[in-house]
Order: sequence, then structure tokens, then C-alpha cells
Amino acid sequence: MVTDVPPLAKYEQDLRKGVLVLAVLSQLRTAQYGYSLRQALAEQGMPIEEGTLYPLLRRLEAQGLLDSEWKVDGGPPRRYYTLSDPGAELYRELHESWGSLASVMDTLLEGPRS
Amino acid sequence: MNPEAIIDTYVTDVVRRLPRKQRADVAFELRSLLGEELQDRAESADRPADAAMAMDLLAAFGTPIDVADRYRPAGFTIIRPADAPGFARVSLIGVALQWLVSLVAVYSVPMDAAAPGGDWLSRLGGWWLTWGLGSFWWPGFLVSASIIAALVSARRVPKDRAPVAILDRDRVNRPLIVLYMALAAVGSAPLIAIPSIASWGSALPQPVVQAFELDAEFLAYRAPWALLLWAAALGLGIALLVAGRWTRPIRIASAVGDVAWIALLAWWVSGPIFVAPLADDTTRGILVLLAIGLVFDFVFTVRRIAKPIAAPVI
Repeated sequence: MVTDVPPLAKYEQDLRKGVLVLAVLSQLRTAQYGYSLRQALAEQGMPIEEGTLYPLLRRLEAQGLLDSEWKVDGGPPRRYYTLSDPGAELYRELHESWGSLASVMDTLLEGPRS
Repeated sequence: MNPEAIIDTYVTDVVRRLPRKQRADVAFELRSLLGEELQDRAESADRPADAAMAMDLLAAFGTPIDVADRYRPAGFTIIRPADAPGFARVSLIGVALQWLVSLVAVYSVPMDAAAPGGDWLSRLGGWWLTWGLGSFWWPGFLVSASIIAALVSARRVPKDRAPVAILDRDRVNRPLIVLYMALAAVGSAPLIAIPSIASWGSALPQPVVQAFELDAEFLAYRAPWALLLWAAALGLGIALLVAGRWTRPIRIASAVGDVAWIALLAWWVSGPIFVAPLADDTTRGILVLLAIGLVFDFVFTVRRIAKPIAAPVI
């Protein structure tokens, strides 16, 4: 049975979903608010839809991985997020896992060595 | 239209789906972030933000219900995807069966079409307001049962390993089989003793002895077959004990046994079993219930008869 093949964008989106949390955690070693975080990720080649990112920050905070506080920094009040202790620990572990996964994927994608 | 007003309406629509204590905080943050996103778009387009721009932004952000879903932590599944087709089938078949039986019952009662409520349309209206709509209790009951099961399952602490009975559903619990066979033997003893109650039950009150007096024709022709089927059931139990699991032949034998018992019970209830009418009616009622139980067991057994895994055609 052959089903319709989803477009390439769908596969790319799925790939990005897998690294979304790690990408966000990586940028929250310093405090950021939602919009600035999205800009920072996009500038480094990881654009994330705002409709995905902003709720994600709240969910990560609810899981205890992020701390947040309202700040007024020469503009309207903004909620700034930063890694909590468990979040920093998770980030370290995911960082290591990513290193090993990327290495495995490189090997797989390069093909068998002759 | 003022784009800020559009965003305000959108944000209100999102947060009304969130827990009350979260709403004000999320609303303020989300409105502020969407405002900055809109400003960003306006600067990129080199024109003031307008309603169309706000609508484009919100369309990319997602529908309020989708966004609210993203804010909420993952919930629990009431009906698993693998169970969904079966659930839908059982729900629809249950409703259809009730409709079929009740419609037949409604239209099989002879009524004067000229009498008030006697024409076919009035009957249909009456049926719809009673059995027609009432039959939906069944899907509602299934959903309620699924919610309770999902809640229980969500609260259960996950084990390191799934139980053996789930991983290998055909494996049998041998001690339980032995216990079942012992209980069956103990239970069948009084039944076998009933025909000779007159000889061993002299101490019993005479009405009791009379109540258990078996019909002569039943005792001579219909009853003895039970011994054969009990012997077959004993053999099946021994085969289960030896194999330690429900194999395909054992399941087929079990299904055949069910059919044989159903046929025998149908034969039994076709005529008198006890001489005393009260004992006879009661016994036949119990046997009909037993036969219905066996029908269910037959269906479950047949569904569980695993077909051999066939090799693909190459």
C-alpha cells in the first residue's frame, strides 16, 4: 500500500521538532523574553514559529526547567525566562546526547567506509 | 479596524481556554509578544500595521484552540488510536442493533392506521423520541467507561516491565487452571448426584426430593451427553496444563466445545428437565443465561484464534 508522501517541509519540520527544546534551552543560559529569544534563534538559522515557541516557554516553566520574572527594561513589562537548576542540568545532558547523536548521524549519512 | 483590537480579541479567545489562574499572566505576555511581532512585520513591510497584517500574523500563529492546546501540558488519552476503529464499530453496531430491534418491535404491533398515533409516521416519531434517541446511551456509556479506565491508567505508576499476561496473552496460569478444574469437579458432583436423590436423600424433606425429580425423558436421552462434554472439557484442561498456553488447536477445540454446549443446552431447554414446574422453569431460565454466556465466550474465543502468519507472496 502506498500512501501520499508528505512534502519535504513536513520532514524538515519534524526534524526541527526533535531539537526544539535543546535549541531553546541553549539560548536561555542568559535571560530572554519570548520575542528576543525568537529573534536570537532565527538569526542563528533556527527560525521557530511564534505560535510554537511562546507556549513552549510556558510549558517548560511549568515543568520546572525555566525560571521567569516580569521586568521593565525601558519598554513595556516583559516576562524574561532563564534556565532553572534542573533546566541547566537537563541542558547539559541533552547537549551530550546531541553530540553523540550528531556523530552517529554523520557516520550514517556518510555511508559505509570502504 | 484597529489591529490591536483584533489581537486583544484573539488573546482573550486563547486564554479563556486556559486555567483561570494562568489567564491574566498569559494574556498580558501574549498580547505584548504579538504586538512586537506585528511591529516587526510593519517595519519589514515599511508601512503602518493594519488589520490585514494582524490577521496574517494570527493566521500564522494558529487558531485560538490550537494555541491554547499548546499552552496546556500533554493530557491523557481516553481512546487510544489503536482502539479507535474498534470503539467506533462497537458504538455504531450497538446503536444500530437497538434501532433494528426496537423498530421491528414498534412496527410489528398491529395498530389501526386511522387511530390517533397509529399511522407509520406517528409511530416513527414516537419511536425516535424513545428508543431512537435513547439508544445513544450506549456510546455514552462506552465513553464514560473509557474515561474511568483512562483516569485509572493515568494514575497507575508505570512498571519497569509490562505484566506477562499483556506481553504473552496466550500464556495460562497453571495453578489457576488446576483450581478451575478442581472447582468444576466439585461443582459437577451434586449435578451428577441429582438423578439418584431419591436413594441418597431420604433424610431430606419430601418436597425437596420431589422438586429435584428429573424428567424421565430428559434423564434417558438428553442428560447423558453432558458427561461426554464434561470429559471433553477435562481433556481440554489437561491439554492446557501440558501446553502451558492457549495454542491454536486448543482454542479451536474450545470453540467447538462452546458450540456443542450451546447446542446441548438448547436441546435441554426444548423440553422439561424437572417434573416440578417451578424447578423446571427456574432451571431452564438459568440454562438460557448460561447459553448466552457461552455464546459470548465462543465469540471471544474465535476472535482470539490466531491465524498462522503467512509468508508474503514473492
